[in-house]
Amino acid sequence: MNKHAQPPLGLLLAVLFTLLCALLGTTRAQALESAPVTSPHATVSLVSESDRFEADKPIRLGLRFVLAKGWHVYWRNPGDAGQPPQIDWKLAAGAQAGEIEWPAPVRYRQGPVMNYVFEREVTLPVALTLPTDGGIVEADADWLVCADVCIPEKGHFRLTLQPGTPAASAQAPLFVAADARHPVPAPFATGIAADGALSVAAKAGDVPLRAAWFFPEKWGAVEHAAPQPFQRAEAGFILRLKPGQVFDPKAHLKGVLLTKDEDGLERAYQVDAAPGAVDIGRPIGVATVDSESPAQDDGTSLLRWIALAFLGGLILNAMPCVFPVLAIKALQVARAGGAARREVRQDALAYTAGVLGAFLVLALVFLGLRGAGIAAGWGFQFQSPAFVIGMAWLMFAIGLSLSGVLEFGSRTAGLGQSLAARGGLAGSFFTGLLAVIVATPCTAPFMGAAIAAALSGSAAQALTIFLAMGLGLAAPYASLALFPGIARRLPRPGRWMLVFRQAMAFPMYGAAIWLLWVASTQAGDSAVLLAALGMLALALAAWAWHWHARHPGAAWKGVAGMAVIGLVLVSLRVAGLQPETAARPLQAQQDTAAEPWSDARLDALRAEGKPVFVNMTAAWCVTCLVNEKVALGAPAVAEAFSRAGVTYLKGDWTRADPAITRFLRNYRREGVPLYVFFPAGNAAPVVLPQILTEKVVLDHLSLPSP
Amino acid sequence: MINPLLRRTLLCASLAFLPTLAAAAPAIGQAAPDFSAVDSKGKPVKLSDFAGKPVVLEWTNEGCPYVRKWYGSGEMQKLQRDAAGMGAVWLTVVSSAPGEQGYVDGAGADAMVSKAKAAPAHVLLDPEGRIGRSYGAQTTPHMYVIAADGKLAYMGGIDSIASTRIEDIPKAEPYAREALQAVVAGQAVSKPVTRAYGCSVKYKG
Repeated sequence: MNKHAQPPLGLLLAVLFTLLCALLGTTRAQALESAPVTSPHATVSLVSESDRFEADKPIRLGLRFVLAKGWHVYWRNPGDAGQPPQIDWKLAAGAQAGEIEWPAPVRYRQGPVMNYVFEREVTLPVALTLPTDGGIVEADADWLVCADVCIPEKGHFRLTLQPGTPAASAQAPLFVAADARHPVPAPFATGIAADGALSVAAKAGDVPLRAAWFFPEKWGAVEHAAPQPFQRAEAGFILRLKPGQVFDPKAHLKGVLLTKDEDGLERAYQVDAAPGAVDIGRPIGVATVDSESPAQDDGTSLLRWIALAFLGGLILNAMPCVFPVLAIKALQVARAGGAARREVRQDALAYTAGVLGAFLVLALVFLGLRGAGIAAGWGFQFQSPAFVIGMAWLMFAIGLSLSGVLEFGSRTAGLGQSLAARGGLAGSFFTGLLAVIVATPCTAPFMGAAIAAALSGSAAQALTIFLAMGLGLAAPYASLALFPGIARRLPRPGRWMLVFRQAMAFPMYGAAIWLLWVASTQAGDSAVLLAALGMLALALAAWAWHWHARHPGAAWKGVAGMAVIGLVLVSLRVAGLQPETAARPLQAQQDTAAEPWSDARLDALRAEGKPVFVNMTAAWCVTCLVNEKVALGAPAVAEAFSRAGVTYLKGDWTRADPAITRFLRNYRREGVPLYVFFPAGNAAPVVLPQILTEKVVLDHLSLPSP
Repeated sequence: MINPLLRRTLLCASLAFLPTLAAAAPAIGQAAPDFSAVDSKGKPVKLSDFAGKPVVLEWTNEGCPYVRKWYGSGEMQKLQRDAAGMGAVWLTVVSSAPGEQGYVDGAGADAMVSKAKAAPAHVLLDPEGRIGRSYGAQTTPHMYVIAADGKLAYMGGIDSIASTRIEDIPKAEPYAREALQAVVAGQAVSKPVTRAYGCSVKYKG
C-alpha cells in the first residue's frame, strides 16, 4: 500500500492545464502584414484589418509605425514643426482609397515649439475599395521621424489580399487600438469666441473631467505652444485658446478635443466650433493648465490603481464564476481544522502562490499579445470553443475526483488521515491557478478600469497591477497563512467531510454543463457532441484506473489506455473547432426586448436623438447573465424602458467581435459586462456600474435629461 | 515622481510665465524686434545697423533635412544672391544650443558658409536662443522679411510645399521670394503669414 501516493487532484489539474494551454495555442487568425521597412528609428509596415476582401466593399488597410524610444511621427497638423506621413497608393484600376483616419495625437513640447505627434506605436487606418482583380495593393509612403533630430524616411509596401468573405486578420486589433483614439463626433455644442475662448457645453456630471486640450485641425488658427487654461462652468467648461497668426473670429474652428477624466483616461471628440459662445452658465473655481506628462507617470495614480486592483480581486471571490473553485477551497479549509499550524500555513501559501502565478502568466500573455500587436480582452480565452470544452472536461474530471470515482492509494488508512493527506501543496497550488482561470469570465467592480490601466501602462506597471489583483483574490486564504489559529476554530474532520466532499462534486458538474452550453453557442451542436464524447472517455478512463489501482491487471490498463487514446482523438477534433462565423441565433437574439447591437444602429438612433441602452455581454460572462436576470430582465426596468422610449441594444461578445472590442475600448474597458445609457437628445452617455440592481438601472434612467 | 503639490505649483508658474514668452512673437506691420548679436567673425551686429534696407532673416540648422533640401539644391544660395542683388541684407541665424543639432561656433559657421558656397551678409550666433525666441522662430528654415522702414512684412515658410524633396521646389509657391520682391518693389505682401515648415529649432532648455 502506498501512503505517499501522488495526490490525484494536483496531478490531474497539472495534466489538464498542459492540455488547455496546447488547445489555446491552436486558434490564430491569418497574419496580413507587408514586409516592413526598418530603420534604427522606426519599423513601418502595411497591415490589413481583414484577411480577405469582397469586390467594391470597403476594407481598411493601415500604415503601422513601431517607433524606437524617444522617436515620433506627426499628426495631420504636425504643430509648429514636422510633417505628417503621406501615403501614395498604387492601386488597380477601379480601386479607391479614402483619407487617413487619424487617431488623436499626443503633445510634444521642445522649448517654445509645440508638436502634435505619435510615439511608441501607431497605426493609421485608410478605407479602400478594391475591384475583384485588385487584391495586390501597393503604396509608396514617406514620413518624417524625429527625436531631437529629424530623419525623412520612405518605403514601398506591397500586400496581397485574397478575395472572399472578410474576417478579422491577426492585425485587426491594431485597428481597434487606432479606433480607440479616433475622435468621435462631439455629442455637445461648442463655440469659439473672438478672444479664442472655446466654450464646451459638456456637463461635468456626465463627463468626469479633470483637464482638456484642443488640437486644431489646421496650422495657424491657434497658437500651438500657448497654454490652454481650463475652467469649469455650471454646464460645461472653457478652454482659453490663444488665437494664432491666421485666426479668423468669423470662421468655424475645427479640431480634436481631448478630455481627461479623474483617472487620467482620455477621450477624443471631433469638434466644429461655431463663432461665438455657447451657454455654459457661470464659471466655477479657478483655471488650471493640463500637464503634458501622461497620467500613467503619476505615482499617486499608480498607488490608487493598485488599491483598486486589490479590492477588485477581493470582490472577485464573491462573484459566481469562482464558486466551483471555492468548493474545492472550502474542502481544504475544512481539512485544515484538523491540521497542524505549519501545514495550514504552507497550504495557504501554496494557494496564494498558485493565484499569483496564474495572474503573472495572464499578465505576461496580455503583454506578449500587446507586444505582438494583438489586443485581447479580459476573459478572451473563453472566446475559443476549444478552451471552453477543455474547461468543461476539467470541471467534469474534478467532479469525478470529488465523487470518489477517481482515487488512488490506500483505502485502509483512517478516513480523516486520508483526507488530510490528500490535496497537498501541489493541489493547493493548482487550485489557486484554477481559481484565476475560472474567475476570468467574471469581472468585479473596479477590475475593468484597473485592467485597462494595467494594459495602457508600462510592462512593470501592468505586472504590479495584475499581481495586486491576484493578492486580492488570494487574500481570504492568505490570511489563513498569517493567522493559522483561525483554522483551529473549524470543526474537526470526520465522516461529514466525506459527505461534504461528495456534495461538492455537484457544483463541478453544474459548471461543466454551463460550459457545454457556452460551447454550443460558439461552435454549434457538433461541439456539444465532441465535448460529451470527451467526457465519456474521461469517465471511462477514470473508472478503469480506479479498478486498476485496486486490482492491477492488463485488462483495466487496456481499457484505460483505449479511453485515453479516445480522449486524445476527440481533443484533436476539438482543437480544430472554429467559432461559427455565420449568423446564428445567439443569446442576444433570444431576448425579445433587445435588438442586436451594431455601430450603425446605435449611430442611427443617436442621430434621431432617441435614448438608447447598450448592454455588452457574453454567454460565458456569469456577471452579465446574473445582471440580466436580476436587473435588466425585471418587469419594472422593461416598463421604464418602454415608458421612456428607450431602445435596448445588446452586443454579444461570446465570440471575438472586433466591433464590440472597439466599443469596449472606447469606454476604456477590456471585457464585459459594459452598460452604457445614452439619454435622449445630445446628452453625454452614462456608464453604469458592472453590478446592476433594479434600483441602480432605474436611478440611471431617470437622470434629468438636458 | 513629482509630488502633486510641487506639480501644481509648477503648473501655476508655467501658466503665469508661458503667455509672456508667446506674446513676444512679432506682428506684421509692426516694428520688427531689434536685436544685437555677434556674427561668425566675432563682430557685433544690430538690426538697426541696416535701417533703410530690407532685411531677410533665415533660421538654419545644417543637420536638418529641410535645410539640406534648400542648400543641397543650390536654391537657398541663389535666393541669397538674388536678395543681395535687390539691395537686401541677408542674415542667417543659428539658434541651436551647444550640444544640439546644428550648433556652430564662429569658425564652424564660416566653414558651413564656404562649404555650401552660401552668400549671407552675416551668420548670427544665437546659442542662447534670444533672437529666435523674440521672433518666435520655430523651424529651420523659418523666414522673416523686414521692410526698409523696419516693419515686419513677412513671416513663415520658405515656400508652400512642406517636404524634404528637392523636386518639390519648382512646384511650390515661393512665399519668401515673393515677399522679398514685394518689399523691394514697395508693395504689400500678398501672403504675409504662412506656415513655417521644417525641423524644430533646437533651443536651449
